[in-house]
Amino acid sequence: MIKFEQVSKAYPGGFQALKNVSFAIEPGEMAFLTGHSGAGKSTVLKLISLMERPTAGRVLINGHDLKRIKRKQIAYARRDIGMIFQDHRLLMDRTVFDNVALPLLIEGYSLGEARKRVHAALEKVGLLDKVRHYPMMLSGGEQQRVGIARAVVNKPPLLLADEPTGNLDPKLSAEIIKLFEDFNRVGVSVLIATHDLSLIARMRYRTLTLKDGRMIDDGLAEVTA
Amino acid sequence: MSVLFRGRQQGAKQVRISAWRRFVTFWLHHAQQCIGSLGELARYPFASLMTMAVLGLSLTLPATLYVIVKNTDAVGANFQQASEITLFLKQGLSEQEVATFSRRLQLSEAVAQVELIDKEAGLAEFRERSGFGEALDTLAENPLPDVLLVTPAAGHRGPAAAEQLQQQLAQEREVDEARLDLGWLQRFQAIVQLIRDGFLGLALLLCIAVVLIVGNTIRLNISSKRDEIMVMKLVGATDAYIQRPFLYTGLWYGLVGGIITWLATALLLWWLSDAVADIADLYASQFRLSGLNLAEMGVVWGLAIGLGLVGSYIAVRKHVSAIEPH
Repeated sequence: MIKFEQVSKAYPGGFQALKNVSFAIEPGEMAFLTGHSGAGKSTVLKLISLMERPTAGRVLINGHDLKRIKRKQIAYARRDIGMIFQDHRLLMDRTVFDNVALPLLIEGYSLGEARKRVHAALEKVGLLDKVRHYPMMLSGGEQQRVGIARAVVNKPPLLLADEPTGNLDPKLSAEIIKLFEDFNRVGVSVLIATHDLSLIARMRYRTLTLKDGRMIDDGLAEVTA
Repeated sequence: MSVLFRGRQQGAKQVRISAWRRFVTFWLHHAQQCIGSLGELARYPFASLMTMAVLGLSLTLPATLYVIVKNTDAVGANFQQASEITLFLKQGLSEQEVATFSRRLQLSEAVAQVELIDKEAGLAEFRERSGFGEALDTLAENPLPDVLLVTPAAGHRGPAAAEQLQQQLAQEREVDEARLDLGWLQRFQAIVQLIRDGFLGLALLLCIAVVLIVGNTIRLNISSKRDEIMVMKLVGATDAYIQRPFLYTGLWYGLVGGIITWLATALLLWWLSDAVADIADLYASQFRLSGLNLAEMGVVWGLAIGLGLVGSYIAVRKHVSAIEPH
């Protein structure tokens, strides 16, 4: 599903965020990406979502070399990737419905079709009763769940989450992770970047660890052991 | 249109949108974003109206100048005596010959009217006006020639055409000298040309100003929506999709700005019309200012809309693509 081949990334100014990173995530797999802040977790996610381009090496999704994706195609490529952010990036002046419907309307769904899907997604995250609310009226956990509903509403085969539980207490974090597990169960590949080690420790998922831009553990050794 | 997952076999469920649906949604998007941008403008009515007024009033000046030039042209057409040709006939022609020549000219298609002032009439007029009455009585014979006043036909009144006619008439056997007072007409036309060129230059400058004003306003709009644009790009919006509402905003600016131009021009002409009528009365003329006609109003409107679009296009081209999520 995702494949990094000796990927390096240097930002303008010389900061080397990733050094020769290689790993692969299989279709339908759920994995955690961890490491202290500044280790390169976000850079990995940005390379997958085409927000950054690698300085060296190749990034492949579903066998497609992202180098081949032209600027004009980026928007279309992103429609296949559900993204969840720590600060959830909702539009504060739009209702929950409008926020979740945004990817569908961009993609060209009719309003009727979009409504069905938005309701299904909000039901999944347990916020169907908040459909007419504005994000400001919701708690942090609820806002994050709106962000998740928006990420999954067009049923992408790949979900990326950048510190999705960053601002949440352990109980809410567990709920969020459970949502990801549900999506993973129906075949969605999930990659979650987090520095919350206690969250990972309780689960038996593959964990990739970055340190100073290098992959010091790709999580495969434990699985085979 | 999945780039990474053709058909999306691997995903939770297949997503497919037919070509027909795409076509319909494309226009639906346009309609939605068109109305949406109008709603956006209505949210800040004062700011929106200010921009529209700037656009409208900037175009009022060229529109008014255009009306003035158009009216001066109309006035110019009224001064036909400006290209009246005076023919001094040779001495010693009989009355018969003068009459024949006059009739012959009358038949020429370049000539609208011929008026004969014979030497007796000329002498009488001179006597009356100059005050040399007694001195003239001492002359043995009338020294004045017969004079024909030739008014060229409509197609031969321009300075060049009239001059050509004058030269042609000077060749006639009966004619001693043909005179055309072109100076006044030339001066008048030079002034009209000056106004016209000035109007063109000014209009061009103001059009550029309008484009810059709209472009800058849209640029501010874009940067105030930076976060929203970023989120839209993250969930897969193309640049074209994001740009469209801003282009429609430019269109609305032009649409309303054009109407403001009509109103302001009409108001300005109404304001001037009394003064113009007074001047016309002093010259005993029936001349009245004529405003923009329907076709000209259409051109003004089209220009306003076009400038609004160009301004917003420049802004979105430069600034929407520059906003990248990070």
